[in-house]
Amino acid sequence: MTNITILIIGALLSISILYLVRKGKMHGPYATWWLLVAVTAIILSIFPGIIDWVAAQVGITYPPTLLLLVSICMILVRMLTMDMALTQKERKIRRLTQKMAILEDHIIQHKKDDGQS
Amino acid sequence: MKSLIVIPAFNEAENLKTLLPELLSQVSHDVVVVDDASQDETVHVVESFGVKCLSLPLQLGAWGATQTGIRYAHRNNYQQVITMDADGQHLPVEVHTLVARYQQTNTHVVIGTFPSRLSRLKKLAWRFFKMLTNIKIEDLTSGFRLYDRQAIKVLAQRQASLLDYQDVGVLLLLLRSGLTIHEVPVKMLHRNDGKSRVFSSWLVVLKYMVQTTTLCIANMGTRKAK
Repeated sequence: MTNITILIIGALLSISILYLVRKGKMHGPYATWWLLVAVTAIILSIFPGIIDWVAAQVGITYPPTLLLLVSICMILVRMLTMDMALTQKERKIRRLTQKMAILEDHIIQHKKDDGQS
Repeated sequence: MKSLIVIPAFNEAENLKTLLPELLSQVSHDVVVVDDASQDETVHVVESFGVKCLSLPLQLGAWGATQTGIRYAHRNNYQQVITMDADGQHLPVEVHTLVARYQQTNTHVVIGTFPSRLSRLKKLAWRFFKMLTNIKIEDLTSGFRLYDRQAIKVLAQRQASLLDYQDVGVLLLLLRSGLTIHEVPVKMLHRNDGKSRVFSSWLVVLKYMVQTTTLCIANMGTRKAK
């Protein structure tokens, strides 16, 4: 039963992502990440044995812990990269704002010079 | 020698009315005021004195505004930038002190300091940051500074754009780039009516301390200043 739930969640997620890309509300790298998440959910729901097998390999006796641990790690990694992306954006916005003020002054100066000559 | 005086201003119309005429009568350098998205008549006041005003469409904070002036100087091939606060704290006369010290010492950056303006709390904070960073400079946040062409180049870069205050972060960046910093004692007035941007409320102080500490720790191993 759980497997079917996860399968449905995975399927819904994939459809939503594709829909968002189609509507232009999500772009390249983000869409890829979320599609990977959806595909992983679908694969795991079809072959739940994978988790048990991997858990056995790394010596975890209760397999669901592995799933939870890996998911939390992935979320943390994702959040970290999000903050890095935000920092980049902040820097770009600041530089753009500064450049805009400088160019605006440049234009005004030019207009004044044109008016005088 | 082409020099530019950069004054970042946020809602400083009243203070600029007294500062600008005095400044213009004291020095012959070019002056540019960077308006940090003020809501009052800062732009109007500045232009009424025939001084150039760069208007930021979004508020960037004191350093963001100052860097705008530095990038302007970089773009227009100025050899020196002198930064001063708009609130009248820094005296126009003292610009000559900075320039004189610069000519004597052949250094890249001159900081005008007024140690007695520091409260005990600030002194404690500065000692803590100096310990963390090995910076041998008395006044870490003084906004009264002279930067030469090389310092202008360093500070106009992208990596300087993520800093939030003209203090430890800027100094660390300059030192890491191998530039030398000198200090010169100057007279300063107490703030007319503008409040300190850094030390205004406990929450802001806490945020500032935490952010700056992180910055200091991340930059450990930078070389010493003279």
